[in-house]
Amino acid sequence: MELQKFQYDNKTVKMFAYATIVWGLVGMLAGLIAAIQLYLPAANLSLPYTTFGRVRPVHTNAVIFAFVGNGIFMGVYYSLQRLLKARMFSDLLSKVHFWGWQLIIVLAAITLVLGKTTGKEYAELEWPIDILITLVWVVFGWNMFGTILRRRERHLYVAIWFYIATFVTVAMLHIVNSIEIPVSFWKSYSWYAGVQDALVQWWYGHNAVAFFLTTPYLGLMYYFLPKMAQRPIYSYRLSIIHFWALIFLYIWAGPHHLLYTSVPDWAQSLGVVFSIMLLAPSWGGMINGLLTLRGAWDKVRDNVGLKFLVVAVTAYGMATFEGPMLSLKSVSAIAHYTDWIVAHVHVGALGWNGFMTFGILYWLIPRLFQTKLHSQKLANAHFWIGTLGILLYAVPMYWAGFMQSSMWKDFTPEGQLKWQFMDTVTKMIPFYIARSIGGALYLIGAILMTYNLIKTIKAGTFLEIEEDEAPALKGDYVSHSKDHWHRWIERKPIQLMIVSLVVVAIGGVIEFVPTFLVKSNIPTIASVKPYTPLELQGRDIYVREGCYTCHSQMIRPFRSETARYGEYSKAGEFVYDHPFQWGSKRTGPDLAREGGKYPDSWHYNHMADPTSMSPGSIMPQYPWLLEDQLDGNSTMAKIKAMKRLGVPYPEGYENIALKDMEKQALKITANLKEDGIETLPDREIVAIIAYLQRLGKDIKGEKTITKK
Amino acid sequence: MKKLKLFGTLILLPATAFCRDEEVTKNSSYFSNALFLTMLVIMILLAMLIVAFSSAFKNIADSDYLINKYNKENTKRSDAAKTIVSMIILFSSFSMLGQGNTILPIKDDWRIGGLDQFTFYFMLFIVLLELFVLALMFYQFNYLVKTAKALSDLPQKKKESKLLLSLTDSVAIEEEESILLDHDYDGIKELDNNLPPWWKYGFYLTIVVAVIYMLHFHVFGTGDLQIKEYEKDMALAKLEVDEYMKNSANNVDENTIKLLTEPADIASGKDLFISNCAACHGKLGEGSVGPNLTDEFWLHGGSVQDIFKSVKYGWVEKGMKSWKEDISPMQIAQLTSFIKSITGTNPPNPKAPQGESFKEAGIIINDSTAIATDSLLKTIDSLNAKK
Repeated sequence: MELQKFQYDNKTVKMFAYATIVWGLVGMLAGLIAAIQLYLPAANLSLPYTTFGRVRPVHTNAVIFAFVGNGIFMGVYYSLQRLLKARMFSDLLSKVHFWGWQLIIVLAAITLVLGKTTGKEYAELEWPIDILITLVWVVFGWNMFGTILRRRERHLYVAIWFYIATFVTVAMLHIVNSIEIPVSFWKSYSWYAGVQDALVQWWYGHNAVAFFLTTPYLGLMYYFLPKMAQRPIYSYRLSIIHFWALIFLYIWAGPHHLLYTSVPDWAQSLGVVFSIMLLAPSWGGMINGLLTLRGAWDKVRDNVGLKFLVVAVTAYGMATFEGPMLSLKSVSAIAHYTDWIVAHVHVGALGWNGFMTFGILYWLIPRLFQTKLHSQKLANAHFWIGTLGILLYAVPMYWAGFMQSSMWKDFTPEGQLKWQFMDTVTKMIPFYIARSIGGALYLIGAILMTYNLIKTIKAGTFLEIEEDEAPALKGDYVSHSKDHWHRWIERKPIQLMIVSLVVVAIGGVIEFVPTFLVKSNIPTIASVKPYTPLELQGRDIYVREGCYTCHSQMIRPFRSETARYGEYSKAGEFVYDHPFQWGSKRTGPDLAREGGKYPDSWHYNHMADPTSMSPGSIMPQYPWLLEDQLDGNSTMAKIKAMKRLGVPYPEGYENIALKDMEKQALKITANLKEDGIETLPDREIVAIIAYLQRLGKDIKGEKTITKK
Repeated sequence: MKKLKLFGTLILLPATAFCRDEEVTKNSSYFSNALFLTMLVIMILLAMLIVAFSSAFKNIADSDYLINKYNKENTKRSDAAKTIVSMIILFSSFSMLGQGNTILPIKDDWRIGGLDQFTFYFMLFIVLLELFVLALMFYQFNYLVKTAKALSDLPQKKKESKLLLSLTDSVAIEEEESILLDHDYDGIKELDNNLPPWWKYGFYLTIVVAVIYMLHFHVFGTGDLQIKEYEKDMALAKLEVDEYMKNSANNVDENTIKLLTEPADIASGKDLFISNCAACHGKLGEGSVGPNLTDEFWLHGGSVQDIFKSVKYGWVEKGMKSWKEDISPMQIAQLTSFIKSITGTNPPNPKAPQGESFKEAGIIINDSTAIATDSLLKTIDSLNAKK
């Protein structure tokens, strides 16, 4: 057999590595700023752009799509070429992929800070960026498959199965969840409404965790862990079963984010049982990783990269054990909406994704620059500071979440709620402080790493031309008689992709299709009416300011919630909510029935200075809402878009919408005037008051009547 | 065989939990009990520690010498670990059934911190057992580390812990050539070890649990879905509250309320006012977002009964919320009495009068509170003076 010589593309790998480091620091810093604002709201510097509701999406998007995203591409571009014995398919595509992804990140950062958001968690980016993401993702897939098709290795290694599943599933998730109707260049409404939107969004949100934070990183683990440990993978058959089981089961589990909400019971139950079954396949990955280290534990002591990987895999195991537990309804009843969930995701993010990335960087950078790591000592310091940071982050958040939930549920023997919501908020502050210290430590660790790697890079020379050789694949494969049956699909990348897509599509289809087709899943309520133009504008401000990052709009059927917030939420109340705004965290109280709870003037004062109306509040001030003029010109386009989505405004309503809007605004300003507040009817505050006063009122009237 | 037995028991467990439903009439969920939850969390944390510890253990204990010396302990340990693991699984199969399925009888003399004695001691036992196992492991671990250090200079023939091999059903490292596949990806090779049995059976178990879960809630309809669960919970809460209120002085409503005159009551009323009402009605009741409460004009009536009602049910359309879920009837009475006490205090920056004038006269005449009101005014004066 003739050996072919070829070169690996290390330059793209290097660029992705740099981007990973830079965006990692940015994303973590954004997280730290957000964390500090939770006990020091004034840390937003009184600017809309740096306020929690906008910084939090910047943080989540930056760490997920910028830090981890670039980390994925770094690892994939490095490992894929070597596992296939082929250079990346096209240098041009690699370039387009790299710069395209960075462009997306920059655009994302700018638009999110400016409040251009769809209001769907982890999918906040507006439609032009969504399209760009799709294009760049296709470029990535094209480049990957081009490389696969030109490979010199007959079979695809398990890491590549994970890359392929990641590619197809993320494409599917992103496209399905991002279907939206543009109103203007930077504004769109989700195609789905209410319960459907919630199901689609959390199908996406949950599987963004699964197929962006988990499967590609499992792929990286399968390459970098045995490389560093120089041990064979523990079990090939475990790889097969846990791969297929994982991708099949993961996709179903989305509704576990919506337990006890207005989502149909059967969908919730599916979410529960698939989450339970997910435990073993998830742990399959951890076992295969940790047991690969059998006989190589002495290396863990000396190899700092491996040390990070071991903690990463362990954190993965902990998070994936906790996940199914949190998916049990009784546990979710306690943990949902609290900081417990925040702790849970950060064990995964800081431990699994963060430490895995660090471990790979410590191994990869010296290799790319043909030198030794500048300082082992510093890297060890990073390891310990980072670990301490994770602990200091997670423990207070677990505690806080558990405590706040218990307080929310406490009743006096007389049957009254024992604690005002504000009591539970003030109790959280010491925990928030501790958490930000943990986060700061973690960031300091990352800064140490950056310094260490810069020093390493400066000391070495970049290995631009790395040569390798392998025989070309020729002719048809003649299988040995005792080949494992699974080897067949490992030779067939296209079939592997298609089968993966089918496997992941099953769960999604079974979960959505019934809610789209069967009316009975979303009982319609006659008294629920579309939003008035002013309320709609107010709702868009609510979305823009990211109110959903701290306020839920979903009252679960618990005594403690109906006592505090009013009648539990019904599916039919949300049929005109494009997008839904149920939220996932209650840093502030639920707002599903906020309408009519307080006078207009209360809201006005509260927006100007929340502590004036609720002493002790940690909500930031929104002075700009009081001053900024509402963009009334968009009203017509918005009503039109809503009509196209099937919201039953009367024929030609868009033409008189503006007039209606002004009428309602005048009424509110008159109300405010009665309480001694002078404001112009065209200010944003008027719209947001209109929206808040509408919340949950549609069936509120009925309820008070039946209740006597 | 042993495995099978254990497996069978675990599968049957959820069923036993269903049965418990019927026995109990008046009960509340375990999961609303702080003590229970704390103990549960401690149990799980300790169990996780034990698992983590034992894996560290295995790594240390992988020399021939150590294996031989500690074989006995190892078997013991594995038994303990098995017990704990099965207990944890047992436990999670209970909790899996959703809020309110696991229930406890209410009988005060049988309770410890709101838990029935059996549960409490059972959990305490597990926690202690876990602590004991941990202590044992820690002791051995320390010893092992010391011995391992001493041995580390000696030439070693590495051999893995038999426990690990049997737990994972894997081929020993020195024999791994036999299961090494001919795969080679950039130098990465693959072994083909068996699936660890506990993992495989655990996977089966979760599938069985999933099927039982779906049958229980959606086919046989034996489990309560969330709305049913809610309704039961509400009915239960009402029973409990009614029971409590029967024997409680707290039992006041808008028909039975009388003006309270004890300075202590007025003072509590004032505290309640400051923390709940002042934001809208002003610190001195002068009104801001809400109406002035110190003048003689009232939007919804100024009698004790009227004010009590306004606080209790609210005037939701006008922005006054109902407070009955937040403060108890007795507290509303105190609050009402405090509000009555500040009539005519003329605080600075009063809000313009709203509503109709209400004169106390009609009530005072045939009531001994006339005298009380005098003393009340004095109390307020003294309260204000203190401030």
